[in-house]
Amino acid sequence: MGRYVVRRLLQVIPVVIGVTFIIFCLVFALPGDPIQALAGDKRADPNIAAILRAHYHLNEPLYQQYWHYISGVFTGDLGETYNGRAISDIVAERFPVTLKLGLTAFAIEAVIGILAGIMSALKKGKFLDNVVLVATLLLISIPVFVLGSVLQLELGVNLKATPVAGIDKGWPQSYILPAIVLASTSMAYIARLVRTSLTESIRADYVRTAIAKGLPRRRVIGLHAMRNSLIPVVTFLGFDLGALMGGAIITERVFNMPGIGGQLAQSVYLRERPIVVGLVTLLVLIYLAANLVVDLMYAVLDPRIRYE
Amino acid sequence: MRGAKSAKWVAIAAVVALGATACGGGGDSGSGGGKSNGIVSMEIGEPQNSLVPTNTYETEGGQVINALFTGLTKLDGNNKVVNAMAQSIETKDNKVWTIKLKPGYTFHNGEKVTAQSFIDAWNYGANQTNAQQTNPLFSHIQGYKDLNPGEGKKPKTDKMSGLKAIDDNTLQVTLDGPFSAFPSQLSFTAFVPVPKAFFKDPKGFGEAPIGNGPFMMKGKVKHNQEIDTVKYDKYPDASKIEVKGVDFKIYSNLDTAYKDLVAGNLDIDINVPTSGLPTYKKDLPGRTIDEADSAVGYIGFPIKYNKAFQNADLRKSISMAIDRKTIAEKVFVGARTPADDYISPIIDGYRKGACGEACTYNPSKAKELYKQAGGLPGNSLEIGYNADGGHKEWVEAVANQLQQNLGIKVTAKPFEQFQAILNDLDAKKYQGAFRMAWSMDYPDMEDYLRPVFSKDAIANGSNYSGYVNEEFEKLLVKGDQAPTHEEAVKIYQQADDVLLKDLPYIPVYFYTLNAGFSENIKSMTVAGHQVLWDTVKLG
Repeated sequence: MGRYVVRRLLQVIPVVIGVTFIIFCLVFALPGDPIQALAGDKRADPNIAAILRAHYHLNEPLYQQYWHYISGVFTGDLGETYNGRAISDIVAERFPVTLKLGLTAFAIEAVIGILAGIMSALKKGKFLDNVVLVATLLLISIPVFVLGSVLQLELGVNLKATPVAGIDKGWPQSYILPAIVLASTSMAYIARLVRTSLTESIRADYVRTAIAKGLPRRRVIGLHAMRNSLIPVVTFLGFDLGALMGGAIITERVFNMPGIGGQLAQSVYLRERPIVVGLVTLLVLIYLAANLVVDLMYAVLDPRIRYE
Repeated sequence: MRGAKSAKWVAIAAVVALGATACGGGGDSGSGGGKSNGIVSMEIGEPQNSLVPTNTYETEGGQVINALFTGLTKLDGNNKVVNAMAQSIETKDNKVWTIKLKPGYTFHNGEKVTAQSFIDAWNYGANQTNAQQTNPLFSHIQGYKDLNPGEGKKPKTDKMSGLKAIDDNTLQVTLDGPFSAFPSQLSFTAFVPVPKAFFKDPKGFGEAPIGNGPFMMKGKVKHNQEIDTVKYDKYPDASKIEVKGVDFKIYSNLDTAYKDLVAGNLDIDINVPTSGLPTYKKDLPGRTIDEADSAVGYIGFPIKYNKAFQNADLRKSISMAIDRKTIAEKVFVGARTPADDYISPIIDGYRKGACGEACTYNPSKAKELYKQAGGLPGNSLEIGYNADGGHKEWVEAVANQLQQNLGIKVTAKPFEQFQAILNDLDAKKYQGAFRMAWSMDYPDMEDYLRPVFSKDAIANGSNYSGYVNEEFEKLLVKGDQAPTHEEAVKIYQQADDVLLKDLPYIPVYFYTLNAGFSENIKSMTVAGHQVLWDTVKLG
């Protein structure tokens, strides 16, 4: 197990180098000019623009620019944005917001999704099951920004039950509603996933044997059946953790939360190459870590899976 | 398999990055307001650069600089330029200006504001080494060229020869040539003074500016969240200001800010979004402002590159085929008014209806004129717009109108960013018409003429049509030399007339300012897109 983990961690290094280069090329290939983007609709002063371009090596060929960037990264300097802010500061400012929002959403979707799925599976075909099916169908079909805007208007503006936007009320007040909105789609997926795989497990031979042996029903479902049913759910959750960290662009925008997603969108728009590369690399690392945890969880859930 | 796994992650990373590029905008934050302790909150967007006055060339950062600093002149409630920190501004020839300062102004760290505070700030702003965004605004001052030898060269000096402190309270500015709009230009936030502390650590200063204005920073800038200020008690006019502090709350999304305003969590929002316009006067009864703003929207033509557009009558026919009233009232839900001059209505010298027949909707005459002028090649026209700024609807509406009224094929061509249009124009890859807008830097007619239509502005300004007219150039120079502001206005109006005859751009609409405020505020005035803090009366 230990050797497996080390091997997996070593794989991260080439992946990161490859990813940074690919993202660098992608942003490099976008048309537009970051220095002009700073000036908006008015033409940037040609002289000042030339000075800034020279300062940020923007006139040099791609490989040289990449070299400037990556040699900075290896000395612990993530570089600065074209308006002179250290990228490490920006990440330090925004990452906690995304982390709180993402983990809150993650907890909501895991707990509520799994519980709803279990209830649904146990009461298959009954009223409760149908409620869960209809509710999840609705959640999956409503676009996130619609759900977000409607809840914001009703709960925030009309009922004044939650903050309308921003994070100054801190965790949990400012984060609960955005997290629910962010979690909504995945929550519905998880509920359906649990329902399907648990239904299958319940019908399996080993469950019938356990019940015949007279084990209490709670133990049969909770331990024997659930352990097998959770494998697809854990896979989905692991993937979704990465998605939550990088994909909250819409939710962050509706609720005006200064997280990574919004920064990434903004930076791509402004052609801020160093920060896009930095943020995406960070997200890739999160994905890789989540993926490793998922793979290790398999072994915990199913003793037949071994990594040696 | 392991190699395949890495490839999978790279692919996913690429998908993530591409997914991120598919969505525009950014996400920032706001916070609670609606307090009755005299602190008011106001909506802004994240400032583009750090809050160094000479590096702030856009309205969002400008709002904050305006609260933290006081310059020599300012706008009053009627958009007239009046003295702020200046006791008097005198000149005999519009070239050498003697400015006396009002005593009693100090920076928030206690340092006295002197003539030298201005000189140091301007020298810093004009020096290319510091690459400040507002650098070109200092170009009228004698010695500006010494500080800007060009990229790759080092300036030999760090002082402009035209700036002299006669004594602590007297500043003498010598310009390169006569420039009658200078006092007006001084109202722009780039011309405020900075304390000595700034030069020790410009970067740190940008996170917690020390100004000489009515409000001072409370802590540092909280990026994408808020910038909090409190009233500075030693400000000479402190007694005239009721507001005890301003919390600038940063939003990336105007719709969200508007919801916060209606919910009572935000006190001032001078950017009511299109989604709020139909209802905002009902949502905020008696607490709205609907007034002319400084910006003008045009349709421009690459006259220099494309012969087809070189006939002024043809441009006039296109102008007459645009139904400005429908655009302003229907497409923009009243957030614009039909343009009838190149000059914004808030500027001294604007003339109602100056554009006359050329800006009056007359489809039948337009069609006739279009035929007389020889039409466009292939009877087809493209209008480029940047898809990132909410221009799609109105440009498509204009395209439809032209198509119907002139009987030609008109297509609205989206570009991802405004810069992409300019690049394609420069590279002659794009030959069509394009949307354009101009918002003022300082409230003077000259600022609507020279930066957009002069020969110099082709390389250094926003003259994207490549329009050149010698008579227009002469009149600009003559206006610069006019002995009084009134006479300058008269001459600039003649220059404006030249444009109205030539129509290098077609003026389409004037922007309006749609603002709302909360019940914590009784009344307030906005001028030149900035809140006049001494007019804000608390409820």
